Amino acid sequence: MSSETMIGSAIPAQTRRVPVYDSAQLPSPVVREVGELWRRRGLLRLLVARDVVMRYKRSLLGVWWALLNPMLRMGVMWVVMSALFRPAIPGVPYVVYLLSGIVIITFFEQAVVSAGGSLVNSTAVITKVYVPPLSFAVSAVLAANVTLVASLIPLLIIQVVMGVGIPWTVVLLPIPVTALVMIATGTGLMLASLAVRFYDALDLSAVIIQILSFLTPTFYPIGIIPKSYRFILELNPLTQVVMLFRAYVYQGQLGSWQTVAACLISGAAILTLGVVIFARAWRRSAVML
Amino acid sequence: MKLTRRRLSVAGTRPPAVELHDIALAYRLCRNRSGSLQDHVFSLMRRQLSYEDLWALNGVSFSVQPGELVAVIGPNGAGKTTLLKVIARVLPPTRGRVVVRGMIAPMIELGAGFNAELTGLENILLYGSILGHDPAHLRRRAPAIAEYANLTSFLDVPLRSYSSGMLGRLAFAIATEGEPEVLLVDEVLAVGDESFRHRSEERISQIIERGTAVLLVTHALEMASALADRAIWVDSGRIIEQGATDRVIARYRAAAAAGIAAERSGSSSAIPAELVGLPHE
Repeated sequence: MSSETMIGSAIPAQTRRVPVYDSAQLPSPVVREVGELWRRRGLLRLLVARDVVMRYKRSLLGVWWALLNPMLRMGVMWVVMSALFRPAIPGVPYVVYLLSGIVIITFFEQAVVSAGGSLVNSTAVITKVYVPPLSFAVSAVLAANVTLVASLIPLLIIQVVMGVGIPWTVVLLPIPVTALVMIATGTGLMLASLAVRFYDALDLSAVIIQILSFLTPTFYPIGIIPKSYRFILELNPLTQVVMLFRAYVYQGQLGSWQTVAACLISGAAILTLGVVIFARAWRRSAVML
Repeated sequence: MKLTRRRLSVAGTRPPAVELHDIALAYRLCRNRSGSLQDHVFSLMRRQLSYEDLWALNGVSFSVQPGELVAVIGPNGAGKTTLLKVIARVLPPTRGRVVVRGMIAPMIELGAGFNAELTGLENILLYGSILGHDPAHLRRRAPAIAEYANLTSFLDVPLRSYSSGMLGRLAFAIATEGEPEVLLVDEVLAVGDESFRHRSEERISQIIERGTAVLLVTHALEMASALADRAIWVDSGRIIEQGATDRVIARYRAAAAAGIAAERSGSSSAIPAELVGLPHE
């Protein structure tokens, strides 16, 4: 290469806007992490695509896993639980009640566990190159969305087969799904901040998620819980999400505005809390990876 | 290494590309060995939680001008790679201030971020984006990157079928893409077989001549003295000496030789403390 072309290529380098990193003039941790996530959204998109491909590409059943997983779970639960709870849930086939709950819980588990482990699994990259750490956790949750959407298909098919039909309110499903994604992202971020410091945090989280899923009326009706204890279930944001999801997906009801508000407000609160904890913990954890 | 360079006069009007002011970085080591939550809670209850801070860097200050090549030398564990990571903004400094003006091309362990299941093209996009490039730009540049790495016919093949030489060439081609203002090099300057090695050296020379500030961490002292405008000798997280490349290298060599001699004569400590700060004549 001649020196002329070299000088020629150096000119745009001087005229283009140069990013400046100054460790003394960084914005607050939360603003910084969210800002970086947005600035590098192209990378986020590629990470989501990678996570989706990785989950399904090399497995025998591919994307069918997304459909099969909740169906298998439902099958097991149905065999075990239907005799117990079917009579307590009038007006709708127990299969539909069960599957609609399982779809939500399966997504939550998958999203939280993969987001929680996302940083620990990416240490090879994070310790070599600057990448906004939020993007790994957020991409894990977004990739799990593919599973959620895919698992809606068998649910809707079963509704038709069982004669429940598909009400027009399904168009409102983005509302509970948005709340669910916010809750899962926030929880996943809290878990990720913990998992960076303690390797057993992910094991512990499996137990906590199990408890949470039992505290959500997936396979039992909320009515079987004594009234004085019901508040525990109602404090669980996932309960509100499942109730709103059922209202839209098969009941064809609009749901009370209190339920809608409870879903969205708790979603926003948990997401904010997760981002704040994550952004603050990250600075201290970076040197421990 | 056959790298050569034509030294440009360093423009004094432009601000430094890299500035470090009194940088310190502590790795926090937990004394109660395990990093489990269970142990942490028990230790908290027993009030036995004690930390030990390992200062990997302590009071490091220097700056690098655009177009300047600075070699960082020193023994293993001196803090050289940590220094690069602080500049690459992977590690936030515990104390002090670091300023980097412009895009950073970190050549620290090339190919960290490659995904074996994705194809060559997908990895160009992913790894390039991880390094901070715009995905749309990478999509346009992908054919040229692949051609440079001699991998055009392998673009649709998953990376798990690549040989290590192919991986190295691809990683190098992506890492040196674009026009970074700051290039951080940790040992790897050239990859692949003889002919690619030649071309990669050529590309590094071009990047340097373009006015990029380069920090080169290396144990190859001949290469450092051939390339660098300045050398910085680091040990135990501190700058022992910095300045004219040949002088710093000579002192470092003398210290290392004295260390070996001391070891042979039966001195117990591996690196005698008094050798770290050689007297300045």
